[in-house]
Amino acid sequence: MKHRLSAFAAAAALGAGLALAGGALAADPIKIGIPVGLSGANSVVAPSVVQSAELAVEEINAKGGILGRQVQLDVADDGSGAAGAQKAFDSLIFQKKDDALITMETSAARNAGLPIVSRGKVPFIYTSFYEGHSCNPYLFVNAWVPDQQVAPIVDYFMQKKGAKTFYLVGSDYAFGRGMLQFTRQYIQKKGGKVLGEEYEPMDATDWTAIISKIRASNPDALVTSTAGGAPNVTLTKQLRAAGIKSLYGNLAVDEGTAKSMGADAAGIYISASYLTSIDSPKNKEFLAAMQKKFGADLKTPNDLSVPEYEGVYLYKAAVEKAKTTKADAVIKALSEVSFEGPRGLIKMSKERHAPLTMYLGQVQADGSVKVLESFKDVDPGNQCPKLK
Amino acid sequence: MSAQFLDIVTTAAIFYVVAAGLLIIFGVMKIINFAHGGFLTIGGYAALIVTQLGLDPWLALPFAALVGLVIGALVERFVVRPLYARPLDAILATWGLGIIIGQLITIGFGREVQFVQSPVQGAALVLGESYSQYRLLLVLGALLLAALLAAVLHGTRLGLMTRAVIMNESLARGLGINSGLVRFATFSLGSALASLAGALITPLSSVDPNMGVPWLVNAFMLVLVSGASLVSLGVATLVLGGAQVLISAYGSPILGSLTIVVLAAVILRIRPQGFARE
Repeated sequence: MKHRLSAFAAAAALGAGLALAGGALAADPIKIGIPVGLSGANSVVAPSVVQSAELAVEEINAKGGILGRQVQLDVADDGSGAAGAQKAFDSLIFQKKDDALITMETSAARNAGLPIVSRGKVPFIYTSFYEGHSCNPYLFVNAWVPDQQVAPIVDYFMQKKGAKTFYLVGSDYAFGRGMLQFTRQYIQKKGGKVLGEEYEPMDATDWTAIISKIRASNPDALVTSTAGGAPNVTLTKQLRAAGIKSLYGNLAVDEGTAKSMGADAAGIYISASYLTSIDSPKNKEFLAAMQKKFGADLKTPNDLSVPEYEGVYLYKAAVEKAKTTKADAVIKALSEVSFEGPRGLIKMSKERHAPLTMYLGQVQADGSVKVLESFKDVDPGNQCPKLK
Repeated sequence: MSAQFLDIVTTAAIFYVVAAGLLIIFGVMKIINFAHGGFLTIGGYAALIVTQLGLDPWLALPFAALVGLVIGALVERFVVRPLYARPLDAILATWGLGIIIGQLITIGFGREVQFVQSPVQGAALVLGESYSQYRLLLVLGALLLAALLAAVLHGTRLGLMTRAVIMNESLARGLGINSGLVRFATFSLGSALASLAGALITPLSSVDPNMGVPWLVNAFMLVLVSGASLVSLGVATLVLGGAQVLISAYGSPILGSLTIVVLAAVILRIRPQGFARE
């Protein structure tokens, strides 16, 4: 009698415990961490990135979340640099215990955060365009690399505008140097001449010395690759104030920053995977939803913020395919899933990177971008041949 | 070549405007105001307010000077004056104040980088070069500032009292000069100048809560090398500013940013009075 009662009690307790545990798991939110440059160079674009993520999460939660669990965002400031990134990644991975990181950052911040990601074993979807060849077992990239972005601008300058001499200016870190190294090789391969290549630190605001050198060498075209955000504005302002007349191709300015520059931005050539003027039903739907959610506070969606929206959805697709948030399974799934977003069909299937449709455009006086040429499904090349 | 010359002259003008406020405080009160960077930042954000309100960008200059004057007066009365007998502690207090100003601005305006409207756009043809009009106007501004300060110092009663206090404060007090008033006026004016400088430099670059800090080190070195003379400050900015421009152009901008600090140390080693006459 006593045995059966205690056995029954044990079974009841076990059953209750399992039910409670199962119930608790179902209620546990999936946490996505966003370490992003709320201060520093990227602070001009970070708000638009956070807005994209917020819209994606709101839409996903309204439809029941991922695997029945609600999604929660944790945003941390990485100071647009290495020191801040270490603090941000540490707090998101080890204190907040986020299930994944999905964000846009400077290459300095990304490179400082990757060892922490490897230690924490958390999937990291990098949604920013960058200089390429960053490879890590936990890293995926859904934005462009130089193999996709540089050719349109240089080819246009050389073939359609007859440019033969180039001057290269960048921010002195992985992105600036990596982009311009690729650009120099491409220009020389096509028979052009690089008159000079100069760098300033990421947070520098005074371009006087470099502008004097540009004026002295008088190149047909200027190609710049500064950190996204503030350096683009200060450099462009000072170039325009100095009356430099060369063709101006900017590898790192997004539509939002260009708009905030006002008249100074007119005439700049950009090569991007996203423009607000993309004429697709998905893009129009996305823009309408952003306008509805943020109204007057909306920051112009741009090539640094839209991949964030798609990145969150790609993570959702991967978790649903893997049926778990466990890192190994999700990482396997991330190269197999795809998402139809404002930029078209995105699939990070080529060595952790994604083939993308690229647009060559010129900024107009009213801040809008006129599309000059478009290139469908440009291959990212061999970015990480050693990773499976 | 002439572009380099213009770069040197305009860079010297910018440094002059930034350092003048620090110089007069150092000359009169014999303390270095480490909140100088904070006042530069206040001036930058005053200009931002003018831009955000959609007003004429030129209004930023008098507005920034006024804000600097008022805050400087308050700081002198409540932070610096109680520490009159302890100059080293007064210096520390201004350092802490600078940090507080930066944090208050972060709370009030957010920590992101923002931009200000330039009152003058475009380039002008000077010495055969097309050069930034705004930078050229800053040269004019620096000259006007120097003339104004000279006029006050040598043409007014307050200026006379100030020169007496600079020469020997105890003796001046002995003669009945109200050195407390002189200190109050000097600190307020120095802060107003710092704020004005902040508003003048931001149209060329950007505002953020820590924008004043890089200028503080260079301004500090320029003041040490100039003693208490506005004329020797002019010489110092031309020599050291010119060196920075040339090294940035022919070496690298990174080496250029080290120039002023390194050269100032070398000059003080060779001639402890720096560029001052005695």
